[in-house]
Amino acid sequence: MAEFLRAENLTKSFRGLVANENINFSIGAGEVCCIIGPNGAGKTTFVSMISGHEVPTAGSVWFKGRNITGLPVHRIAQMGVVRKFQTPSVFSELSVYRNIELGVLASSCPARERHGRVLETLKHVRLSELSDQRVGSLSHGQRQWLEIGMLLGKDAQLLLLDEPTAGMTAEETHSTGELIRRLVNELNLSAIIIEHDINFIRDLRAPVTVLHLGRILMEGSFEEIAGREEVREVYLGEQK
Amino acid sequence: MSALQSTTALQTARRLGVSESGLAIVALVGFALLPIFVSGYTIYILPQYMLYGVMAMSLALLWGYSGILSIGQAGFFAIGGYIIGLSFKWIDFGNPAYIAFVVAPCVGAALAGVLGYFLFRAGVRAAYFVLVTLAVSIIVEQVAVSQSQWTGGWNGMYVPRMSLTLGTGTEISLFDDGPIYYFVLVVVVAIYILLRWLVTSKFGKVLLGIRENEDRVISLGFDASLYKTAAFMMSGALATLAGALYGTHAGFVSPSLGGVLFSTEVVVWVAIGGRNSFLGALLATIVVASLSNYLSAIAPRYWQLVIGVVFIVVIIHFRGGIAGALGRSGAFGKHKRGQDG
Amino acid sequence: MLSTTISVLIDATLLTFTLALASLGLAIIFGLIGVINMGHGAMLTLGAYFTWWTMEAGFPFAAAAIIAATCVAIIGLALEHFIIRHFYDKPFETLLITWGFFLVTTEVIKIAFGTDIHNIPNPLPGSFDLGVQQVPAYRMLLAIITLGLFLAIGFVFYRTTIGIKVRALTQNREMASLLGLDIGRTYKLVFVTGSFLAGLAGALICPMLSIDPYIGMVFLVRAFFVVIVGGIGQILGGTLIGSFLIGGSETLFALFSTQTFAQTVVFALAIIVLRFRPLGVLTSATRT
Repeated sequence: MAEFLRAENLTKSFRGLVANENINFSIGAGEVCCIIGPNGAGKTTFVSMISGHEVPTAGSVWFKGRNITGLPVHRIAQMGVVRKFQTPSVFSELSVYRNIELGVLASSCPARERHGRVLETLKHVRLSELSDQRVGSLSHGQRQWLEIGMLLGKDAQLLLLDEPTAGMTAEETHSTGELIRRLVNELNLSAIIIEHDINFIRDLRAPVTVLHLGRILMEGSFEEIAGREEVREVYLGEQK
Repeated sequence: MSALQSTTALQTARRLGVSESGLAIVALVGFALLPIFVSGYTIYILPQYMLYGVMAMSLALLWGYSGILSIGQAGFFAIGGYIIGLSFKWIDFGNPAYIAFVVAPCVGAALAGVLGYFLFRAGVRAAYFVLVTLAVSIIVEQVAVSQSQWTGGWNGMYVPRMSLTLGTGTEISLFDDGPIYYFVLVVVVAIYILLRWLVTSKFGKVLLGIRENEDRVISLGFDASLYKTAAFMMSGALATLAGALYGTHAGFVSPSLGGVLFSTEVVVWVAIGGRNSFLGALLATIVVASLSNYLSAIAPRYWQLVIGVVFIVVIIHFRGGIAGALGRSGAFGKHKRGQDG
Repeated sequence: MLSTTISVLIDATLLTFTLALASLGLAIIFGLIGVINMGHGAMLTLGAYFTWWTMEAGFPFAAAAIIAATCVAIIGLALEHFIIRHFYDKPFETLLITWGFFLVTTEVIKIAFGTDIHNIPNPLPGSFDLGVQQVPAYRMLLAIITLGLFLAIGFVFYRTTIGIKVRALTQNREMASLLGLDIGRTYKLVFVTGSFLAGLAGALICPMLSIDPYIGMVFLVRAFFVVIVGGIGQILGGTLIGSFLIGGSETLFALFSTQTFAQTVVFALAIIVLRFRPLGVLTSATRT
């Protein structure tokens, strides 16, 4: 199987504090994977090393056969690896339309097709009616979707989603799960999703990787993981 | 009417029947017809204020649209002035003014490009960038003073009025105030239209994105430092070009043209007129510069003081300048709340 | 050859200390509370003018300098209390506001004192003969005073309770307030100290220059580069190193050309340094 994204012995330490150690991880095209683990397990740092926001202390990251370790963020994003941040990072003073437009501008879409592309993306993320609204007036859940929409507009191939359902209601969480499933199937995207919400992860029916203290504890399907003693121990003390 | 053509504030404005474009046309007609009703000093001095206005617009591009503050635009302006002065002094073939109009923006862009390359690539803080632009202004002034064999030092440099040479060998002298008034007006309008167009292009939209959320723009795949450098180069080129035209119009260039005080005044004009609005920057400049000229004749010592106080007040209270304040009530311009750059 | 080298070194050292003195106030404010005090140059100028004014009233130089510095400190306090403290989390606004302060102050100085150039007699005439060069006694005194100031600040910073509190504040603001530290008061203290030092610098430096409304301007930019090159937050070591680099380079280049050209070259070099060491020469820049 041609590996879409591969991380080899990925390690990150900050002046003695080891955030990630020897992570070996891979994901194929059109696949989704969830990353879970208690706070401080190194989930965000791991994803940051893929997106280029952190430079690994050791190890390498390969995307579509190319070594992207240590490349600047914008170069990695240009290649199709785009990230959604933990706190929604959007353009709050601009309209919804303009936000998506910026994503589309970042893609290779020709100028005359841009408008159509923006409308199409708005439809995907169910924000068509709010096209002219200033983002500041959107709900938290809508902002998350907006950000995902931006990544879509950019024709991302690998989505790195950091807690996409944080702050969402149960209903919004469910819709988000559906959205991601739909996008993955229709557009053959891959996604690495950091999440805490058990229901979301269960509904997604995707392989799960558990991180603990910077290392991979175990990998498997949701059912396999959910029953494991170690996983529950690792989450002890976490308010869920 | 799709969201394509406007920001939300402009849409609100359109609903209220006021738009920047409409106002711009009114202003243009006004300026075009002015010489019919007025003559003498006003026609002489107005083009100079308009060229200050171009400098202000260049700052609006940089500050308003890209979120990069510079207190060194006057440095570029002075460089342009000295270039055209030297051009007339040293070049005796062709049209020295034309040559200056080509050389000046190139020099301005080159200077801005070098600075931008070093600073933006290194990811220096916006504050450091401001400092460097301040230093540019200081250095330009100091160099102008010290290289007096070329620049005339504190005594300044005289620049003749240019003429337009058209291909067929005809030469139109712009020595009289009337013809040069229109020439400047045409140039200023052209630059205004260029800038308005620029901000609706992909380049302009990305700049806006950089101002709003640079990290997000980078994470979408844009090389933000490249865009910022390009914006700085454009703004530098425009300011330098304006300075060159100013040089031949005013007929005199001196080191204080590039100094820190003048650079700061530009920021004041833009802050008052609204840094998101080119028309606001242009008109505010003309109004404030006229006022300043008038008042400094009456109370010279107090006018600069007033400028300083107004500056502080504007920074504290208005975020979008007057155009921004109007934007809150629905006219053109964009009012920004929250974090800024 | 040797004597020229020694001569250059002496010049460079003297300039280093002058720059260090002029930059210390800025380093403290910028480094500890993150305020980019564009009014630093104006405070320096005020220090110079107040010194002259007080001396015209009959006070001896030393007393005048202290009085002047204190007056500047009071002005700094007012500025902080009424305006700056509302903008601590907005570094850009503080930059602009302090710039406005510079404008207003300069104009007020012009109105109050006129634009004529004033001069203060050298408080310590005479010079030391160091063999290769005559060094003005006052400049040596200045260097010694500067060194003394640095040592004093260092002592306060590292050995006293106040110093610990300030350091705690800059390391971790939230933690510090949870530990009962009065943030507002501490910020005020830092700002006032920085203003005092700026005024003092102006007072001490002005005998060597003629006093005009823009005397502080020259030092503003150099001070900023000193602080940036030396590293924000490294208020003692960084400032000294930065002063040495900037002062030393200026002295070196001034050998071959005019002062202006030397300053331009140094400025260009500083930008290049910034490109590769955005956090200052003492820290190696890592992309995080």
